[in-house]
Amino acid sequence: MAAVAVGKARFAGVPVKQVTKSNFAAAIHQIKADIEAAEFVAISTRKTGDFSSSSLRHPWRRVLPIDTSETAYLKSKLAAETFELLQFAVCPFSIRGSKVVAFPYNFHLFPRDELTLGMPSYSFACQTSFLASMAREGFDFNACIYDGISYLSRVEETKARERKSGSWMHTVTSSQNPSVADSIFKERIKSRVTHWRKACKDTSQAKDGSLVQSLRKLVLGGESYGSRPGMSVDICSEKQAQLVFEILEQISDDLVPILIPDNGGQPKAVRVVLTSSEEDKKLLLTELQNSEDEQNLKLRGFRQVIDLISSSHKTIVSHNCLHDFTFIHEKFLGPLPETVAEFMCSLRLLFSNVVDLNHLLKEFGPLRKAKNIPSALSYLKRQYFVPMELEVPEQAEDGNKSHGNNVLKLAFLFAKLNMLLKNASSSRSALEQAKSIEDYANIFNPASLTLHEPGDDDDDETGWQIDTTRTVSTDNILFLWGFAGATSSVELKHRLLQIHPVFVGDFDVHFVDKTCAVVVFERSGSAKILLKDMLSVDTVSGVLRAMVVEGFRAAGYDAYKKVCRLGLWEGDLADSLEIALAETVEDLCSLSRTNTNEIRWNSEMMIDLNDL
Amino acid sequence: MALSGFRAFGSRAIPQTITSSQYRHLHRFLSSATSTTTSGGSGVAMAVKKVTLSNFCSVLEDLRIRIREADFVAIDLEMTGVTSAPWRDSFEFDRSDVRYLKVKDSADKFAVVQFGLCTFRWDACQGSFIAHPLNFYIFPRKELSVEGPTNEFLCQTTSISFLAKYQFDFNACIHEGISYLSKTQEEEALQNLCSAYENVLLGFSGESEEYVEIPAVRTADVFFTERMKIRLHEWRENVLKYPEDPILKGNDCGQNVDFQMVFFKMHPAIMLNGFTSHQLKLIQLTVIAVQVLRKYFKDLLYLCVSGENCSSQKLVVYTDSEEDRASLMQEVKEDQLRSGKLKIHSAVGFRHVIDLLMCEEKLIVGHNCFLDIAHIYKKFIGPLPSSMEGFALSVNKILPHIIDTKHLISSNNFIQYLMKKKNKSLSSAFSLLCPQLSSPSQNLASTRSFVKVDVQADELGSSSWNSGAKHEAGFDAFMTGCVFAQACSHLGIKFEQDSLIMDLARNDNLKSYINILYPSWNSGTVIDLRTGAESPVSCYKRKYPKIEFSNIALIWGFSSKLKPKDMEECLCKVFGTASVISVFFLDRTAALIQFNKMELVNDFLVLKDMLEKDDGPVSVLHPLAKLLEGGNTRAADYNTYRDICSSSTSTSRILFADQAEAIGIRWKTKIRPACKETSELDSLKDSVSEHQSDKNDSEKQSQHQISFEEMLNSL
Repeated sequence: MAAVAVGKARFAGVPVKQVTKSNFAAAIHQIKADIEAAEFVAISTRKTGDFSSSSLRHPWRRVLPIDTSETAYLKSKLAAETFELLQFAVCPFSIRGSKVVAFPYNFHLFPRDELTLGMPSYSFACQTSFLASMAREGFDFNACIYDGISYLSRVEETKARERKSGSWMHTVTSSQNPSVADSIFKERIKSRVTHWRKACKDTSQAKDGSLVQSLRKLVLGGESYGSRPGMSVDICSEKQAQLVFEILEQISDDLVPILIPDNGGQPKAVRVVLTSSEEDKKLLLTELQNSEDEQNLKLRGFRQVIDLISSSHKTIVSHNCLHDFTFIHEKFLGPLPETVAEFMCSLRLLFSNVVDLNHLLKEFGPLRKAKNIPSALSYLKRQYFVPMELEVPEQAEDGNKSHGNNVLKLAFLFAKLNMLLKNASSSRSALEQAKSIEDYANIFNPASLTLHEPGDDDDDETGWQIDTTRTVSTDNILFLWGFAGATSSVELKHRLLQIHPVFVGDFDVHFVDKTCAVVVFERSGSAKILLKDMLSVDTVSGVLRAMVVEGFRAAGYDAYKKVCRLGLWEGDLADSLEIALAETVEDLCSLSRTNTNEIRWNSEMMIDLNDL
Repeated sequence: MALSGFRAFGSRAIPQTITSSQYRHLHRFLSSATSTTTSGGSGVAMAVKKVTLSNFCSVLEDLRIRIREADFVAIDLEMTGVTSAPWRDSFEFDRSDVRYLKVKDSADKFAVVQFGLCTFRWDACQGSFIAHPLNFYIFPRKELSVEGPTNEFLCQTTSISFLAKYQFDFNACIHEGISYLSKTQEEEALQNLCSAYENVLLGFSGESEEYVEIPAVRTADVFFTERMKIRLHEWRENVLKYPEDPILKGNDCGQNVDFQMVFFKMHPAIMLNGFTSHQLKLIQLTVIAVQVLRKYFKDLLYLCVSGENCSSQKLVVYTDSEEDRASLMQEVKEDQLRSGKLKIHSAVGFRHVIDLLMCEEKLIVGHNCFLDIAHIYKKFIGPLPSSMEGFALSVNKILPHIIDTKHLISSNNFIQYLMKKKNKSLSSAFSLLCPQLSSPSQNLASTRSFVKVDVQADELGSSSWNSGAKHEAGFDAFMTGCVFAQACSHLGIKFEQDSLIMDLARNDNLKSYINILYPSWNSGTVIDLRTGAESPVSCYKRKYPKIEFSNIALIWGFSSKLKPKDMEECLCKVFGTASVISVFFLDRTAALIQFNKMELVNDFLVLKDMLEKDDGPVSVLHPLAKLLEGGNTRAADYNTYRDICSSSTSTSRILFADQAEAIGIRWKTKIRPACKETSELDSLKDSVSEHQSDKNDSEKQSQHQISFEEMLNSL
């Protein structure tokens, strides 16, 4: 039965398949097929916090309009390392004419330590306001914590395997120079196994009574593996395991070795299983493969889905990619690298094609100021005629169906934009440059968030503001602190006007947190002049001198970058900047390392300041 | 499904405790806990009242009386975690100050999600205690305009899983948990409110007067502003024209809902509805700007007042004169101050319960409650003091009588005998000491007398009851109280005789147990809250020999392949076979090395420093080189361990080495500041190069060593 959603309640009423621990194994098969069949995969996540909600204590930890991709990445990295994922919605979808055919899934996650390895997460932070607002939306925390699916990242899985290597698939590599002890061991095992095999094959034993059978079992050391006869060969090293594997190959094809590890993960014994025929052997091997897969599923948990998406090479659609993918990298791939360039490289290996809706909206002229998906959707609805229908062919059975329907909105918005862009490229009239969706792939826009004034919550409509885009070089940015008393940017601006001639030109002042303000100069070079004059305070007189004596300080963008790179996230920005400035000497080695690629970065370090 | 099975057990049990007739006749009923059924072992089914936002106020009213009448109050807390990183766990190599720092870190980072409180009152007629268990759900929510108790808190995955295992209702906690403010936070909020009020009265009404900038706006804004100007003007004309009843007469110009005419404190006013915040800002600017620039709307006032259901309401008010305007402003400000104070009072939330406990100075009973008390202090009083002694003394000031049942049952010989030296967990103590409560179906052919405890409950409603199971704060508090009551009777306290005035807090039999807590499971010491002094206690068997902390060196950042055995071997090669007493791994990146002599710590650090500075073949071939593999090995003395434990970054690193890096440790080796041993340093260096040769001066040095215990005693 297909549900075609129309009208206002387009998304609210659409059922989203809710996946927890209990139905995960079944869902994974289903989603595998859906991903294979789809053109695109939209994803969206719910976390325990992300620094974007109004945090009064550390407002500068958010990704701000003054952040370059580098600093924005470092901030996202911090969030990904601090917080945890609770829901991960995946929606494979295809665009068929004017129809979006979508298969939404919402996975409930919890980093439960299923294998008691201290992984994936020892502890994680929760943002109070974040959880409270999720609660208002009716978020079901019990579902996540009780029945959420756990996971291990690729790196963690490797670690886990190291610790409890239990793989039966053992690569047989011939041992180079066997020692005398080895050959004795080999001979002994060989005769034992051959004898045992012969005894098993000997059909005459069927005539014997049960007592004789069990006695034989005792004598031969045999045991059954399921319905098949088997025996254990005790070993005490990896090498001996290899030797046993070799011998078994020599003896017969119908013997299948299974490595049995002890609690510490060291090989303890090799179980030899006798199969009755070629088909029986195949059957056993598939059985073993299945149990291995099951074990893998248990180990990887939800990451299996990420792996599926990754190996499908479908185009992934997401909003706030930088945020989401730092989380994905941290939780499902491995620890985040130090620089954004390394991050992008590493991510490209996992996902070759990602479209950031945030970036797409920014590029799509009229939607530049859309703050969130609903406002972009409502704008499109008002301004453009894009006939598009959403179809969800599968009905979820029960439960709270609307959880995770954000991912449907993503898919829907993407489909609309896709169509608009296509129309534009054919007519070449509506839009200035005709680009196709492909041109937007793999460019992440740091989530743009305006500096909120506290208490200014009711501005849904003001998502549309004046359309001024300005890019500013980081050279024209200064951080100021130590101005006693000034509490508003207007007041500070008035004060600055009096202290130095550079402030005669046009400039902007904004508070980053209560201790520190950022000044953006129109004229290049102004920042440098002020910094120089403040350093040589003996030659400068007047108000500036008086203020510097009283603790007025300034720092360029480099200091800010250093704060982010060193991870000085504690406390107010002013304090962190002071620490960063003080550390110049000690940090020489790391500076020289990064300086090399900073020059390259500097040339393109332009930031979008329209939100300032 | 485990969940439904468990729940069913709880709900089935409740009706058995109370018959329906009892319920009908007595709204308040008593049901002896001895009549409850059990399901194997020590499981008790008992109704514990669940307190959330919705019923908090009414519960608080009842509680006021119950606490006043109570003989003692048992408490128990459930937290979101205990240790923020594996190395923050409590180890036997933790000195007293380190142990406190670890407790402090835990209380600072984790949140309290459940507060169990059970009042116990002796009923002389019944000859039994009447217990009233409550289970408060707590969540550090930001209430209204007041800043919340915490922005962020940590969850330990295993603790959360543990809570989930015992069916903790996270939805109830986050959706309707009661918030709180600590005393310090409340004072801060009040101060902010008052200073804002002062500023307004003094005329610093922010930027509005002096620096009004009319922003360069888009045309839509200009049109909007002009239209507003006209509408305000028209309205003002109307008010002037029909001063007696502007609302009726003036209807012709303002029938829109967004421009609703009202009276505000006897002044004609317009309620601004349905405008966006941007538009409201424009209106405000219009009113102010026109006032300032042209003295035109001088008699209009733009106000923002908090209306019902906490939403702020914007108004434009007409005032007759300058004085009228001033008095109106004053009135509004006072209103705001009053409502602000009310908001803060309600934001105090759960702390009202703590205030009750504090002002009644009741005997507080907890089981292994050092961490609980630290949480109470941090969450409801203020930031934790930096030292254990300071903490003990401050706690004693606010909660003068605390008793720890774990200490009580382990230090009393008779109870120990009864417990048969079994483990001292709360549930095992409960089932051993109070079998009449934990498994009443059993035939107790014992000569021991059991203290009777009846559970009192009221307004039974299925939704507001928790099943009363182990590891649920309310029930744990009940068990703690029962264990305490039973222990008291073993100590010879006769409740029947002391029925008139039972002052347990000053009872002679309890004297030696009151205000004695013990800071961690392996410390072997107790802390006296009255003096802040820590002393070893004989009843705890010390598993380990006394530790000289000055003999311990800290090392971290070494190769992950290095095992404790390798490290010991490597060090013994350098300093002699008996030189290393033990190597203790804090986690896989850090270890504490206990030497047999204090000076070896310094020898080790100096030698490490030398090897690192030297690029020659010696540094490669030296036995210690194995420790330095990778080039990131850092070492210091024990005090650095304390310093790193005291570092509290809000994002705690899981690995010790990462934490050290996060707090900005860039040096490789920190050699102990040689105070009087400076002269010895050089000779030490020499002796290090020919290590093992000098072992004879150990006797000389030993007199320098002052054990930590001795230091404590001398304090």
